Amino acid sequence: MTTHLDEELLAQWALDRDTPDDAAADHLRLCARCRDSLRELRSIAGQVEDMPRMESAPEDVWDRISTELGFETGSLQPAPDLSTAGSTSRDRFELRRVGRPTRRMAAVAASVAAVVGIGLGVIGTLLATSNDSGPPTAEAVVRLEPLAGKSGDGNADLLQGTSGSQLKVTATGLVQTSGFYEVWLINEDGKRMVALGVLNPGTGGTFQIPADAAGQGYRIVDVSLEPNDGNPEHSHNSIIRGTLPS
Amino acid sequence: MHGHHGSSFARLRVVTSNEAGLQSPADIAKGLAEGREQSLADAYRRWSGFVFTLALRALGDRADAEDVTQQVFVSAWRGRANFDPSNGQLGGWLTGIARHRIADRIAARNRDLRNAEAAGGLLQLQTSPDRLDQDTVDKVLLADELARIDDPRRTILRLAFYEDQTYPAIAEQLELPLGTVKSHVRRGLLQLRDRLKEVKGDDTSR
Repeated sequence: MTTHLDEELLAQWALDRDTPDDAAADHLRLCARCRDSLRELRSIAGQVEDMPRMESAPEDVWDRISTELGFETGSLQPAPDLSTAGSTSRDRFELRRVGRPTRRMAAVAASVAAVVGIGLGVIGTLLATSNDSGPPTAEAVVRLEPLAGKSGDGNADLLQGTSGSQLKVTATGLVQTSGFYEVWLINEDGKRMVALGVLNPGTGGTFQIPADAAGQGYRIVDVSLEPNDGNPEHSHNSIIRGTLPS
Repeated sequence: MHGHHGSSFARLRVVTSNEAGLQSPADIAKGLAEGREQSLADAYRRWSGFVFTLALRALGDRADAEDVTQQVFVSAWRGRANFDPSNGQLGGWLTGIARHRIADRIAARNRDLRNAEAAGGLLQLQTSPDRLDQDTVDKVLLADELARIDDPRRTILRLAFYEDQTYPAIAEQLELPLGTVKSHVRRGLLQLRDRLKEVKGDDTSR
């Protein structure tokens, strides 16, 4: 047979532990390629149920490597692997998806930085210091204000727990349209930004962030409306925004 | 591999913006072969999470996992002349080194246990299997690749795979159509399958 089974269909059977219909079953009996493919997908569907959370090595591991190899320290600091920092929360901090910063994106971030420069958006207050045990403690509560011409607002609570820092984002008055809302942390340097994940405007969400993200300049909390266009970069359509205290 | 990962956020602090541009695995491999220290730092940034998580999963001990991570990158630097780009990619090569260092650590532990047994007649000490099984490596590879998928697919896959949420629950939580969610999970599985194939093809140590 030359017409093979649709791969998405194979994936569906693997994920749902479904059995193929009669016609497909006939094909599978005859076609080793589709049979192998289904077997492989079933195996992976089983493995993804038991994946570890990604974790990052502590920062001093690089220092140890650098020292052991006699590198000039200081000139070669890889930024801590924030992409895998904190890995216990549902929405892990993730930065790898952000593409090469475009000139446009740099402009977005630069304009953000300028706005922040005049002090808009920071209503954060230190509420408590971090605690080594118990539930996460709130370190700061930041109001998220609508950008010009946009409506909605919200809060970003910076929480400190045993597993690292978390950002709890809630929003009100965000219009549900097509596409999805996404939470970003933008660096004050006007050059860098990172996507934290998808935000349900109705229920909010909690995102794991590295303990030192704000210290590294990632202080601007931004909620954008992203079209379903498959482009991972910031849509340039920010709706609400606030700034974490340094 | 899509073109968006490993890129802009965690860039180095003390380099010019030009040099700080996106380093592809091929760029990093080339720099490493040329003996550029910066390239080892780039490799560390790209793969240390994978190596550390793999070691942690295999050894169950953070201090041991840190030691192994250190050893892997030290070995990579010292053995960079042995890396042959025509025989696979840097990620696969590093995975091979990690396997060896983890196996060494497990063997040393087992040796210590046997010595302790012999010396003190301690009973019921269990030695671990002395090889890192492929299933563990695959699962960490899958987790690492999942973390590189673009949103909204990444979030959808996390909710499905880590949180065991049903498709309707995910659709409701993210306010996305059910069909969209299902399609993302299916395509995500295919995407992970392709990446796993690609990476495993490069791990020549098995």
